[in-house]
Amino acid sequence: MSEQALKPAFWGGPWMKEKVFLGMSFRSYLRSLVTPANAIAAAILLAGIPTIAYRFWRGLGAATNLSQTNPWGIWVAFDIVCGVALAAGGYTVACAVYIFGQKAYRPILRPAILTGFLGYALVLLGLVVDLGQPWRLPYQFFLTPGTTAVMYEVGWCVFLYLMVLGLEFAPAALEWLGLVKLRRLLGSLTIGIIVLGVTLSTLHQSSLGAFFLMTPGKLHPLWYSPFLPIFFFVSSITAGIGMVVVESALSHRAFHDRLDPAAPVDLDRITLGLAKGGAIVLFAYFFIRLQGLVASGRFDLLATGWGAWYLFEMLGFILLPSLMFAFAARRKSARLARIAGVLTVLGVILNRFNVSLIAFNWNVPDRYVPSIGEVITSLTIVTIGVLIFRWIVNRMPVVNEHPDWRGAH
Amino acid sequence: MNETALLSPYTAKALEYALAISYLLLFIPFWRFVQGEAVLEHVLGFGWFQVPNGVHLHAGHAWARPEGGAVEVGLDDFAHKLVGPLDAVRLPEIGAPVRQGQKAFTIVAGGQPLDVLSPVDGHVVEVNEAVRAHPADALRDPYGAGWLMKVEPRWLTGNLKNLFSGEAARRFLDAAAGKLAQRLTPQLGVVLQDGGTPVHGIARALDEDHWDELARQFLEGK
Amino acid sequence: MNLNRRSLFKLAAAAGTAGIVGAAAKSRASVVPAARGARGVLVDTTRCVGCRACEAACAEANALAGPEKPGDDTVFASKRATSPTAFTVVQKGSSKSPAGEDRYAKTQCMHCVQPACASGCVVRALEKTASGPVVYHKDRCLGCRYCMIACPFGVPKYEFSSATPLVKKCTFCVERQAKGLKPACTEVCPSGALQFGLRADLLEEAKARIYTNPEKYVHRIYGEDEAGGTSWIYISDVPFESLRLPSGIEKKSYPELADGALSAVPFVITLWPPLLMGMYTFSKRRDEVAAKEGDGRQEERHV
Repeated sequence: MSEQALKPAFWGGPWMKEKVFLGMSFRSYLRSLVTPANAIAAAILLAGIPTIAYRFWRGLGAATNLSQTNPWGIWVAFDIVCGVALAAGGYTVACAVYIFGQKAYRPILRPAILTGFLGYALVLLGLVVDLGQPWRLPYQFFLTPGTTAVMYEVGWCVFLYLMVLGLEFAPAALEWLGLVKLRRLLGSLTIGIIVLGVTLSTLHQSSLGAFFLMTPGKLHPLWYSPFLPIFFFVSSITAGIGMVVVESALSHRAFHDRLDPAAPVDLDRITLGLAKGGAIVLFAYFFIRLQGLVASGRFDLLATGWGAWYLFEMLGFILLPSLMFAFAARRKSARLARIAGVLTVLGVILNRFNVSLIAFNWNVPDRYVPSIGEVITSLTIVTIGVLIFRWIVNRMPVVNEHPDWRGAH
Repeated sequence: MNETALLSPYTAKALEYALAISYLLLFIPFWRFVQGEAVLEHVLGFGWFQVPNGVHLHAGHAWARPEGGAVEVGLDDFAHKLVGPLDAVRLPEIGAPVRQGQKAFTIVAGGQPLDVLSPVDGHVVEVNEAVRAHPADALRDPYGAGWLMKVEPRWLTGNLKNLFSGEAARRFLDAAAGKLAQRLTPQLGVVLQDGGTPVHGIARALDEDHWDELARQFLEGK
Repeated sequence: MNLNRRSLFKLAAAAGTAGIVGAAAKSRASVVPAARGARGVLVDTTRCVGCRACEAACAEANALAGPEKPGDDTVFASKRATSPTAFTVVQKGSSKSPAGEDRYAKTQCMHCVQPACASGCVVRALEKTASGPVVYHKDRCLGCRYCMIACPFGVPKYEFSSATPLVKKCTFCVERQAKGLKPACTEVCPSGALQFGLRADLLEEAKARIYTNPEKYVHRIYGEDEAGGTSWIYISDVPFESLRLPSGIEKKSYPELADGALSAVPFVITLWPPLLMGMYTFSKRRDEVAAKEGDGRQEERHV
């Protein structure tokens, strides 16, 4: 590990060129940005930023299809509730690598943490867009804390966890900036940060389910359960595994030129290992959901339309990916594992949507359908996340190791 | 909270326990299935691949059996089990020349064409029409009815020096099996039920995505 | 594992978090419920004639635009709902009384004894007071709308069209009560259908009316147990569902449903760190032993 790390001398010229413009001149860099993918992203942002501005200018009523009977829409269901679940890869992989000592997953740890960090940041952005008076967010911490509220616990947990994720990712940024001492200090705190992160994640992942404990009359009996917090926690683990399988495959392809040829990563082998974990956890999750059904005793509802939808979620998006992961691990098929990963992610999204939007208010005649503006806004938020992800991976040691810090993290 | 429960508390609780116990009973085999067992070693062990007398093996897993003036040529047991049932065999024309160590014919398995190297020098005098019509049958009797072509040899004595027979052939196949097993041990092996071959060949069972590359490594005699 | 900066950091973080979040163990409302001085209203629907004077009084007392179609009975054609500008509406029942009369029921915030909205409010914008009303502090609300999700009666309404939106609902005329006055609606009711008083007394009154007229009234007080008890209680001679009063309300308080999950929080905060550190230490030691024993072995653990 060299002591002579590059220090940012000043904020212009060579430093900017190397760190920000990927070694190109400003003009070449701008030219390199003209790609079809960027065109699509630009189109989305072009539609989305004004849409978000409109929401703040004209209010929620004008910009959304929210109503008195349906106060929560896709901004809550997708950007917040799904967002938190899909960012769970950060703590699951961190737990696997540091707590369980599974060093084979090191290569995918930093991308998973980055996905988690950006995921939670986007959740915060979605929250700011959805709240009626978002500038009052700090009130819950510093003014009149509603300590009896589930949301209070979620608020603190997400707030602290965002900082934890920042600390977990910071070493990569510090290596990029060449701040050696700070990087070393952070390295010594790793295990404490990880333990805190796993604890906080357990709490808020389950508490997102706890939100709906107070709504037995509004949430369809096949989805309502006093065990919702446990279901949300366990499915967050499956979401983490699924997301990491999918995201690592995409990153590997997209950032192929960032990979270090001297340190090849056997992504297929890692994926198969994740497949084994995914198979087992999905299997267990399927059975605890069954227990929830037994506890409710509402087998009669299985014969209804809602019952069919419930079985669709259970069999197609929990049991099926579990078996797919199992077969993939068995037959050494990384491709099958990736398909199972996609199904798992879709399954978590479906479940979160069911609990917060579809099976919620199931018996209300006036059902909610998102407005175009809401869909564009959610899409924009995701696009912003993807762009930031790409910006960071193209510059910082995320899918590769910084030459000065090989094997250090 | 459950006003409309259809089950009495006793039935409900009994069902919960029953479900939990069923889960435990299912969990153990499921875990084992997911993890797999390194049984391949014993399955690919000594004596699993038989080589009949009079058969000479080439490093590319083709075999040659001198019969009368001609040499019967086929694909050995190991290679058949590796690639699984054949979709097709593309045999050369009658009279076509073949050289030892050069491509003799092509087998197609799982949609992938794989070249097989010739064990002898000479020219083709006969091809097995029956196998050409029903390629999947070749697997059943690789050294007998599964013969693929007959070659009039040009320099048999010299060729045979480069081929394995008898004990050497068995050791060659054991080594090939060992190479396979070595490729598997870092990952966990596949359970082969009752010592049988996976239906679509061992290579496919080991590496779904790159099985043809795996098979080629053996067929190229490396 | 030796005590070092690492573990101290961890302990401090755990203690700090536990301290902050541990207070969330009980999710019940901030004030002791069923306080002795708690007020309520008894709504005797057998006396309500549907004049909607209560709606007009409420609008005046809260400086709202007047009630919808005053004096026009066509409003009763469909199910009505409160709104950000109408804190109370009278519903017409779908059943007639045994004597053939129309039946009406005034709906508004029920001011539950243990309100779901107050328990779930992250900034205590909704708060249960000892005297009964569930009040709303508009200067605290950040607009998460969880109160709307949690309320089983669907009471809170949101000003979606405003740039600084607020939650709107019946206030139980807290300011008037503070001055010793009755809520506006109860003041103007000409038929005596609305009776304001101590909740405990009103429950007795309701029971007395039912006992002395058993063939007239439905033998239940709506709001006695609903959601663990509400300040506004109803008696009727027609089924409560026909009066559009929400059915299927839990008989226990809604905050109780979230108690279990919230009580688990301090336990997770306390138990997770030692559990995780234990697993960490175990796996670290296992790797160290393996590294020592097999020098030729790969450093990576096989998955």
